[in-house]
Amino acid sequence: MIAINKVSKHYGAFQVLTDCTTHVNKGEVVVVCGPSGSGKSTLIKCVNGLEPFQSGEITVNGVSVGDPKTDLPKLRSHVGMVFQNFELFPHMSIVENLTVAQIKVLGRDKPEADEKGIQLLDRVGLKVQALKYPGQLSGGQQQRVAIARALAMDPICMLFDEPTSALDPEMINEVLDVMTELAQEGMTMMCVTHEMGFAKRVASRVVFMDHGHIVEDDLKDAFFANPRSERAQQFLAKILHH
Amino acid sequence: MYEFDWSSIPGALPFLVQGMYISLEITAIAIVVGIVWGTLLAMMRLSSVTALSWFAAGYVNLFRAVPLVMVLLWFFLMIPHMLESIFGFPRGSDMRLGSAIAGFALFEAAYYSEIIRAGIQSVSKGQMAAANALGMTYGQSMRLVVLPQAFRNMVPLLLTQGIILFQDTSLVYVSALADFFGAAYKVGDRDGRLVEMLLFAGAVYFVLCFTVSQLVRYYQKKLKTA
Ligand SMILES: Nc1ncnc2c1ncn2[C@@H]1O[C@H](COP(=O)(O)OP(=O)(O)OP(=O)(O)O)[C@@H](O)[C@H]1O
Ligand SMILES: [Mg+2]
Repeated sequence: MIAINKVSKHYGAFQVLTDCTTHVNKGEVVVVCGPSGSGKSTLIKCVNGLEPFQSGEITVNGVSVGDPKTDLPKLRSHVGMVFQNFELFPHMSIVENLTVAQIKVLGRDKPEADEKGIQLLDRVGLKVQALKYPGQLSGGQQQRVAIARALAMDPICMLFDEPTSALDPEMINEVLDVMTELAQEGMTMMCVTHEMGFAKRVASRVVFMDHGHIVEDDLKDAFFANPRSERAQQFLAKILHH
Repeated sequence: MYEFDWSSIPGALPFLVQGMYISLEITAIAIVVGIVWGTLLAMMRLSSVTALSWFAAGYVNLFRAVPLVMVLLWFFLMIPHMLESIFGFPRGSDMRLGSAIAGFALFEAAYYSEIIRAGIQSVSKGQMAAANALGMTYGQSMRLVVLPQAFRNMVPLLLTQGIILFQDTSLVYVSALADFFGAAYKVGDRDGRLVEMLLFAGAVYFVLCFTVSQLVRYYQKKLKTA
């Protein structure tokens, strides 16, 4: 579904990504982890073309992201993305947040979009909040709305960039539960996260990054049982003791 | 002691009201055109196309570096000539109001574009990314997500700039156009009661501008608590 082949990116002289190669098969959940600044966000943003890259190739469902001829808005319209800071649109009600792109991008009519929106809000347990504004919701609720907003576009795969790291601890699980359910239903997912419990539960593979390199790309069990690189061992030791 | 004599005001009221109408007309049109053109300039300035951003920067810097009254004079002198030679307008037709509106609108756009540029930049980058990630084009993301938030933050500043513009409309006296200030001046000059008329005009400007600026403050407070 997602194939990343020898992708490199630099800002001036600063190399953010070096020869990154990995993939996500249909129905797979791949967790990406690594220390701060290792390039995880940059890599995942390259997948839907939010960040350009200088060399290598990424294809999503066979469409090349880096190709200038690719219709990026169209490609993005069926690749869902969830951000660390939710990024709901604060000037729109919750239900408008879920319908605006359905109407303007997919060309659905309003009743259809509303129905879909409400149905997804119900699914993440927030139907009663439909007419509120993002500012009136807690962080965990906002992130669940953001997931519903992405799902409203009927995505073929979902990208998550640290969806729980801006949340208070007591709200993390409500978001992870939604993500776990999604994974169990067979959604193709690429998740940057440090929630190793989540990774152990649903991931097929774990990718570990350091300094712009993909250092490990292992089946989940192999990664947790004995990571090959020293950096990953240290990283795991630190994170699991928290 | 100077003896005040306000008796020329009542009779001159219709003329003064007509003048006020012209002042407000110039203000309103210049605000609307200024904001639309200013928004385009701001978007050009922020665009990654170098030619566009240079053009916008040049435009803004040019208009901000020359006195308004000079811009107005250029337009009074140039526009009639241009319309005559390009469109064959009859010589000597009165284009002072049109020239004034064009001059103000183009001048104010430079100021509005700076306010709007700051407004666009005040919307976090993540909002644009989120809109793009949903498949919106650049234009849709701007129109549906970024600009509405930018304008909501900018309304107080845009209105304050509008108040300044309203006061500045008095500068059209250089073309002897009878806006409110011009009308008051003419009446005062005719009746030998210039001091009274200018005090009266000043009071009217004060009341109007003060009222609007209080409204702006009220809105600002509401915005903060919302
Ligand atoms: N626009 C930019 N210009 C220059 N350097 C940048 C830019 N954006 C990111 N970087 C650098 O690229 C590196 C990778 O950033 P990235 O956000 O991908 O890291 P990350 O692994 O997601 O980290 P975190 O866990 O903190 O989110 C960082 O060192 C960052 O400083
Ligand atoms: Mg990051």
